[in-house]
Amino acid sequence: MLSEVYVGIDVGSVSTNIAAIGSDQKIVFTYYTRTNGQPLVAIKKGLYRLKDELGDDTTIAGVGTTGSGRQLAGVMVGADIVKNEITAHAVATTNIKPDVRTIFEIGGQDSKLILVKDGMVVDFAMNTVCAAGTGSFLDHQAERLGLPIDRFGEMALKSKTNVQIAGRCTVFAESDMIAKQQYGFSKADIIMGLCRALVRNFINNLGRGKMLQPPFVFQGGVAANTGIKAAFEEELKQTVTVPDYFDVMGAIGAAILAWEEVEQKGCSSFRGLDSLKTDFTPSSFICEGCANMCEVIKVEANEVTIAVWGDRCGKWKENIKQVKLKEII
Amino acid sequence: MQIGIPGALLYQYYISFWRPFFEELGFQVVISGNTNKELVNRGVKVSVPELCVPVKIFIGHVFELLDKGVDFVFIPRMEAIRRGEFFCPKFMGLPAIMKYGVPGVKGKLLTCQINARSDDISNYKHYLPLLDKLDLSIKELKKAAAFSGEKWKRFRTINKMGYMSCEANKMVVEGVSGKELLPKENNNHIKLGLLGYVYNIYDDFVNMGITGKLNQMGIDFITFDMYEEELLDQYVAQLSKPLFWTFTNKLLGAGYQMLQKKLVDGIIHITAFGCGPDAFLGRLLELESDRAKIPYMLIRIDEHTGENHLQTRVEAFIDMLKRRKSKIS
Repeated sequence: MLSEVYVGIDVGSVSTNIAAIGSDQKIVFTYYTRTNGQPLVAIKKGLYRLKDELGDDTTIAGVGTTGSGRQLAGVMVGADIVKNEITAHAVATTNIKPDVRTIFEIGGQDSKLILVKDGMVVDFAMNTVCAAGTGSFLDHQAERLGLPIDRFGEMALKSKTNVQIAGRCTVFAESDMIAKQQYGFSKADIIMGLCRALVRNFINNLGRGKMLQPPFVFQGGVAANTGIKAAFEEELKQTVTVPDYFDVMGAIGAAILAWEEVEQKGCSSFRGLDSLKTDFTPSSFICEGCANMCEVIKVEANEVTIAVWGDRCGKWKENIKQVKLKEII
Repeated sequence: MQIGIPGALLYQYYISFWRPFFEELGFQVVISGNTNKELVNRGVKVSVPELCVPVKIFIGHVFELLDKGVDFVFIPRMEAIRRGEFFCPKFMGLPAIMKYGVPGVKGKLLTCQINARSDDISNYKHYLPLLDKLDLSIKELKKAAAFSGEKWKRFRTINKMGYMSCEANKMVVEGVSGKELLPKENNNHIKLGLLGYVYNIYDDFVNMGITGKLNQMGIDFITFDMYEEELLDQYVAQLSKPLFWTFTNKLLGAGYQMLQKKLVDGIIHITAFGCGPDAFLGRLLELESDRAKIPYMLIRIDEHTGENHLQTRVEAFIDMLKRRKSKIS
């Protein structure tokens, strides 16, 4: 049976996620993988997997990208829409849970708090400069404790004693944790203490006195951690929902946005799965044209530069010949 | 003889006075170029950590003027332009900070004390300390002050017609009087309040070209300097006691007016890392935006801010306003 899907790609610092929705907006495919510093490889793998799973009868009718690597991903696939993470996450969540008021999203390198009213974002806050409340922090501590990150949550729930750990800063949290270990607290107690510290830090840094209204939805890679979910519920004294597809919500949002965009303009600019065979080579150089010394990132396909960013003055951007990508590939 | 004026801090607010003032007195005025990475790095290198980013940038501009071999660098001590209010202590200490903290300034510092009753700082008496150093007569000083005072008023007239300070300064140099000019037309869908000191909103390096980005996105914005001083004072009077710092009060007045009269769809407040007065201002604006139910976003910039982070936040904020507006109408 011939069917059309809309694909969303979320390229984050830690994971790359892909989701596909049908024209009825039902989720038909999801894929989550670690970016490992190679977003292009991750995207390729994901899209081939999609092709394998959905079969040849399925056509991709539109693509959207989001996440910190959205521009590169957008160029590579010929995205119909390239959107920021806040919008993508909010769109996905309100689609699944229309009455949501507060979204907690905790990813690898940043965390977001999105306040929603009547299906619309009314306020948001992002934690971008400090990793204290993010997945990287947990990853790091899990490693220190010699515990795989996927067992973190389960372990935390075994905690019986309330251990206070300073969560303001990773550095302090770490020394605090060592101290508590030396006092003889159990691993489980310390992990739960960490979860509470992270949640406290999240609510203090991002909430900043904002009214957090239920229903609450918790998503992003860290939502896999049941300890953090429990700590949120404890702090808010309310139920917190973790959606089924919590780890690919950004990609789902991008897919929905792509669907909206294609509905509007009538056709897709997606370059087809064959285009993935082309080698895209990103590289960077320091432009020495002026004292700004911008780090310019360029992407080449078959030795032709197809995208450039990072130049403040735009002189490299302007230099790109508006060649049709199809001709190169 | 060459007199250098650093293109930083209050430059965009007062250059239309200072430049013609020194030119009228027969000096050649040299202005440092735009802020760039190398300049910032030089400023940061000699700065103590207590200084905020704009002052560090100012130091970079001073270095550039010294490189150009100017005879004097003009750094006035800005004390007050209102009764009972002051400039931030870093402005009041600026000549001293430069003299003793920045190598090479000592013999070339040209300074005087501005303690005025209004934004108009053209009273010749402020500049009496320059007489000896520059070998001038009171008569010359009076004439130059009166002449350039008129230029500055022209700048303010144009500025208040909705043109940004940087645009208005340019027009004054080009000989635009303001009488022939029509108020700047704003006919875009979304209107924003862009709050921040002149050295933050008009320095494209430090804010990564936010005004250009907004223009590109088709967003109108108003800034505090486009307001009549008296109108700002009226709104500041709502506080049981005004803040100590004049320009902080101006931003507050502008923010209150925009929010209370519902003139804007949202407010973006740009603050520099390490700004003490903005710690108060940010919170006051946040509270007022809650009351007005108009979104407010604070963007904190420092010397290492990545462009991605700023882009994402601005995009997400504008998306939110757009979606909100289209849903209401």
